[in-house]
Amino acid sequence: MTIRAATRKDLDTAVRELIYRSCLRLDEGDFPGWLELCAPDLRYTITAYSPEIRQEMTWLDHDRDGMEGLFKMLPKHNSDHSPLTRHASVYLVEVDEERGEAAAVTSVVVYRTALDGGATDLFAVGKYFDNINLEGETPLLAGRNVRLDTRELGIGSHFPL
Amino acid sequence: MGRTAEQWKQKPPLPKTHYVDTRVYTDEGIFEEEKEKIFAKTWMLACHESELPAPNDYRTYHHPAGVNLIVVRGEDDRVRSFFNVCPHRGNTILYSPSGNAKRMTCIFHAWSFDSEGNCVGLPREKAGYCSGGDCSVSRDDLGLREVKTQVGYGGFVYVNLDDGCEPLEDHIGPALDTIIEQIDTEPLEVFSYHRAVVNTNYKLWHDTNSEFYHDYLHVHNRLTSMKQEGYFERKMIPYPNGHAEVGSQEVHYEAYEGGKGRAEAGFPGVEGNPWSLIDLFPGYSYNLRASVLRVDSQIPLGPNKTAIEYRSLGLKSDTVEQRRQRVLDNQTIWGPFGRNLHEDLLAVDGQGRAIQNGSRYVLHAREEDSTIHDEVGMRHFYAEWSRRMGRLAGDPTKAVALEKPARA
Ligand code: FES
Ligand SMILES: [Fe+2]
Repeated sequence: MTIRAATRKDLDTAVRELIYRSCLRLDEGDFPGWLELCAPDLRYTITAYSPEIRQEMTWLDHDRDGMEGLFKMLPKHNSDHSPLTRHASVYLVEVDEERGEAAAVTSVVVYRTALDGGATDLFAVGKYFDNINLEGETPLLAGRNVRLDTRELGIGSHFPL
Repeated sequence: MGRTAEQWKQKPPLPKTHYVDTRVYTDEGIFEEEKEKIFAKTWMLACHESELPAPNDYRTYHHPAGVNLIVVRGEDDRVRSFFNVCPHRGNTILYSPSGNAKRMTCIFHAWSFDSEGNCVGLPREKAGYCSGGDCSVSRDDLGLREVKTQVGYGGFVYVNLDDGCEPLEDHIGPALDTIIEQIDTEPLEVFSYHRAVVNTNYKLWHDTNSEFYHDYLHVHNRLTSMKQEGYFERKMIPYPNGHAEVGSQEVHYEAYEGGKGRAEAGFPGVEGNPWSLIDLFPGYSYNLRASVLRVDSQIPLGPNKTAIEYRSLGLKSDTVEQRRQRVLDNQTIWGPFGRNLHEDLLAVDGQGRAIQNGSRYVLHAREEDSTIHDEVGMRHFYAEWSRRMGRLAGDPTKAVALEKPARA
């Protein structure tokens, strides 16, 4: 499917599928597979607003090389390997056919399931603000801002959300 | 060969200062005593002045002795603190963690207070308190409870619940001298704040900040520090009142995947990429890594629960580009998704679990001429803890009188 051939409805569906697939790949720990969904000019950020200091904060900010480096180093780190499970609902998709891109807003809930015993706890809630490149054969994630409402994240995480 | 139950329970064959009985991390009675003998009598770090830049700006603070406080900048620019407790029927006055209030008004019956703690508004005052002519209550008796407050050492707001306490300068002493030029030449500003609530004892987090033997936990530190020249010469320096410093070392950030030097955005007097860490009794740390000052402050919530507040700071005068650099540097290893902070928290969370489930003694016994892997920083902390508590950390069941800190 190219953007010219696609109907608006096709594009909307393709964007939603891209977002859901990005969640599935991260849930599976398939980081190379997640990167395949991303454009070369990817920018990935995790941000939050702090009412304590009344400021915007950035807790992760990487381009594509940065994300590759992060994934490459993961096995060398001591990390909590309790799996994270993302539950996403794509709220809005706005396709700009002229510019060959789309913007999407997705509500995300992330659960953490303890390796020992399997109890599941809520880890974080927030939204994905995504920019999607529609110029190629398949849509690609060019920008993802994980905007967290949750700021108390316990021991934190080494994994992108 | 593994040890038997009997052997496991035996005190380690070491000097009394070189191990800790894990009951100091689990016992409810000891925790209550710490509240009374340590937290209620020591300077605690409540927030940073940049969190209340304008007159009538406020921040709330949960004091570990079990009191909620309001920290507020007065119209005279002085920072004061009060119990966040309405003198009427005891409601919480301010619900938001920060804000600006010319009058701090209790939502319940609308009594209001100014930034100096005076009661300045009381609906239907005369009708309720002066019905017979004479007033039964004076507003002077309805002010807020004020708490000793001092700002300093990088613009941090310190509070002390003890009205008869020593000045902050006497408590900190020379402990921050090494980095005072960096943090006190021009105003700093907090650019990241978060809190981690962890099921562990606050002392265990402080211990982690006070020993560098655990650089083995961090691949980042193994590559950027341990493998670099000068690492094993870093000295641990104990200061009076239980504080300790880890001497500075040049860090090679480029040795980690995607890393680079931090010289573009520094602090006054910083050259290159030095790293200094100073731990203050009973639970704060100033951690300066060239472009970012991270300050940890703990709010112990129970024997096995602590809220650790993390602030990252740059200079107030930062350009947009300098601030962006600091934010990027900060997130690599610090913040909730940083590579090092998660590892430290993972370890201290594991300690919390082990200490509740079978751990009996922990060892602080490495001696290496006070260099980086010497565990003198922790020994020094527990000497002060023992003195204040009147109990040896290695044998906390007995009361002892310790005038001066036991030898570290
Ligand atoms: S409790 Fe605050 S005004 Fe009554
Ligand atoms: Fe560490």
